[in-house]
Amino acid sequence: MESSSEKAGSRVSGAASADLRASLKELLVTELALAGRDPTAIADDAPLFTRERGGLGLDSLDALQIAMLVEERFSVRVPEGDEARPIFASIATLADFIAGAGDSAPRV
Amino acid sequence: MTVVVTGTGAVTALGATAAETFARLSEGARGLRPLTLFDATGYRTALVAEVALPGLPGEGGPSACGDVSRTSALALRAAEEALTEAALPRADRGMRLGLVVGGTTAGMLETESLLSVLVSPAGEVDEVARAEALSRMLSHPLSAPTDRVARELGLPFARVRSLSSACSSGANALVVGASWLELGLVDAVLCGAADALCRVTLGGFGALGALDPEGARPFDRRRRGLTLGEGAGFVVLERAEAARARGARAVCTLLGWSSGSEAHHITNPEPTGEAPARAMVAALRRAGIAPEDLDWVDAHGTGTPLNDSMEARAIARALGAASSRVPVSSQKGQIGHTLAAAGAIEAVLVAHGIARGRVLPTGGLEEPDPACPLPHVMGTAVARDVRAVLSSSFGFGGMDTVLVLGAPTAEAPAPAAARRVVVTGAAALTPAGVADLEGLAALPSVTSGELVPQEILALDPERSRRLDRTARLAAVAVAAALPGGPPPDAGLVLGSAFGAVDATAAFMRRLREKGPRLVSPAEFPSLVPSSPAGHVSIYHALHGTSLVVADLATSGEAAFAQAHELVASGELDVATAVAVEERSTIVEAVLAVLFAEARIEGERPSSPGPRARREGAAAVVLASASVAARRGLPVRAEVAQVLAFEDAPDALAALRPPEGRAVVVLPEGAPSRRAEELLRRSAWSEVAPLAWPGDQGTHEAMGGIAVAVAVAVLARGEADVALCVGTARGRGYALVLMQPGSASPCA
Repeated sequence: MESSSEKAGSRVSGAASADLRASLKELLVTELALAGRDPTAIADDAPLFTRERGGLGLDSLDALQIAMLVEERFSVRVPEGDEARPIFASIATLADFIAGAGDSAPRV
Repeated sequence: MTVVVTGTGAVTALGATAAETFARLSEGARGLRPLTLFDATGYRTALVAEVALPGLPGEGGPSACGDVSRTSALALRAAEEALTEAALPRADRGMRLGLVVGGTTAGMLETESLLSVLVSPAGEVDEVARAEALSRMLSHPLSAPTDRVARELGLPFARVRSLSSACSSGANALVVGASWLELGLVDAVLCGAADALCRVTLGGFGALGALDPEGARPFDRRRRGLTLGEGAGFVVLERAEAARARGARAVCTLLGWSSGSEAHHITNPEPTGEAPARAMVAALRRAGIAPEDLDWVDAHGTGTPLNDSMEARAIARALGAASSRVPVSSQKGQIGHTLAAAGAIEAVLVAHGIARGRVLPTGGLEEPDPACPLPHVMGTAVARDVRAVLSSSFGFGGMDTVLVLGAPTAEAPAPAAARRVVVTGAAALTPAGVADLEGLAALPSVTSGELVPQEILALDPERSRRLDRTARLAAVAVAAALPGGPPPDAGLVLGSAFGAVDATAAFMRRLREKGPRLVSPAEFPSLVPSSPAGHVSIYHALHGTSLVVADLATSGEAAFAQAHELVASGELDVATAVAVEERSTIVEAVLAVLFAEARIEGERPSSPGPRARREGAAAVVLASASVAARRGLPVRAEVAQVLAFEDAPDALAALRPPEGRAVVVLPEGAPSRRAEELLRRSAWSEVAPLAWPGDQGTHEAMGGIAVAVAVAVLARGEADVALCVGTARGRGYALVLMQPGSASPCA
């Protein structure tokens, strides 16, 4: 998981780098124990909370775990409740949120 | 037979007694305030419902109060109050007493202090302090408050049980107590539950986003979560005629009960409320009353967005038209959610409501949520003739229990006669592999390896990703016990002595190193002692009662006894009894210290050799004999007798071996020495050689494996009757299994 933090360090404002997306996919597969999932086979725009369109089919407990992991690894606090919905839409939206956190989201 | 409540006791943030709590709740008082028990800096909220009583143990281990945990102290106060009210004749040796205690945290607060010493960096804590902390690490298993209450009360309890079904534990303690009365196992039973506040629950529920920083507001449209509370509730239950005969006053009746599992999710309720509604309907049916007869629904009502709307749907579903008329309230906005204790405290409060003709309000509720369209009681208590009340408790893992309490003179329909119970399947899991009925008859010795190999624990990856090691061991054993797995209406009783010790340590380490905001929400549910039962019932889609029991090295036998009682009393048609113990680094280390100091006898766990500590699991599927016949389930053995005893030289004197070829199945090694001693003094000494096929090492689930082996021996026709004896500090179980239909059970 060290690699996640290193990559997070090189984040840029605006659109998230491919590196950040890749490390997020790896983080989710490892930390949410998505055994059998190949992180590189997860599409950037695959939805997190449904199985449709290649989605991961996660649930609200996973959302809490992801929020905690993002806070731990990227020092970015994910808002709670309805505000979090668009952020958790896909790997891409989550990566964009983290990448843009320097401007808008509260840093921890 | 009707069950009556003859004594009640409660300790809450609003009172040192049940009467005081009831009076304050009636006024609409709220006992929420900032936590003082430990430093809550960094937690999402410090607002809790803490009990403020002089002399109650707080932080820091041994104190003026000795080694009593806060949970045990809370339990003891409520239990004493209930006993005093019931005025049980303490000296009457002819009266068989039972004790059932539910819990989730047990001595977690004290264990946290020990863990903080153990996880401190080297140099910060000296080695003597570390060794001392380590030696006390196993002082607070789930069974500790039960043992403490039994010891302090000094009563000769004929039957004792420690159980957890998370936040329905308290209600299930009453269910178990009532079933003991029905089965004639005891004449009076003290049952209840206790839980104290601690860092693990404050951090864990915080991580789940389940705490309302403004205080719980059940059924309010602005509600954001629960408020953690602490406390204890106990009742004395007796058969009505016996209570009458001894001149005891009945406070109320326990007319009906039912429990079931949602088999849905480890933390989230199944949104339609189908399973809770089913439990409500079944409890009303058992009570012999209609929804229209209810005067109050005392709801689970935690204040979390998901629970309260689900519960409103469940009430509407179960009560139909009556749901628009029967007043509903929850006390959790006033005394917090006391977790395991909640169901027992609420039963006590309902008993007082019946006795006083009052329905308590929902403190904290100001703007009812349109999604919870119920006849809420707001502000203060309302006067009303209260003749029948439904009380709901729902726990993590979807463990739902519903009680129906009634007026003191009410009569419940006659219960069905105790049912014959058969064994329909068995399996064991050891480091040598999975053993089904065939394999059990020649269980191979474990010659190498301490752990069950990973490839054996392979389950469906998608559905099993949240299962911890204990749950995995259990799930594999359950699947192997009956081809195709247990039927969907089956219940599950899982015996485990120590629970998730290593996971708790890891959680505490994170709490200490990263702070309360960064503890793992996904891992917290696995620290709740009932979680392996929850996980397995979800994994195998089992909808019957689901519970964990803990009884030190006889946890497997206790699970068998509990499953047997649930089937014999008619609460379940099929129940799987599981014994499981995962290998724990901390348990090993603690035992090493205790062995080194010669505080316990036996092989040193760290010693190499066949009897070193290992891990394992066993599952035995029980069914009512008539249900097994009707459904065509295989019948491998019949349960003849389940004897729970207090350890004494003549404990097994009354146990006569029935006719036929008998065999005694005992695990090899130190844990069986006491059992061998007891057997030598019994009528079984002449009967049979001790049989044990293969050496499995030592762990607390060995008793469960012995039972599975006994089933296999009978299934192969190698004996007509098999006896298993398990003992642990001061207690034991003797289980007699027979060839099916070979003789009438002697129970």
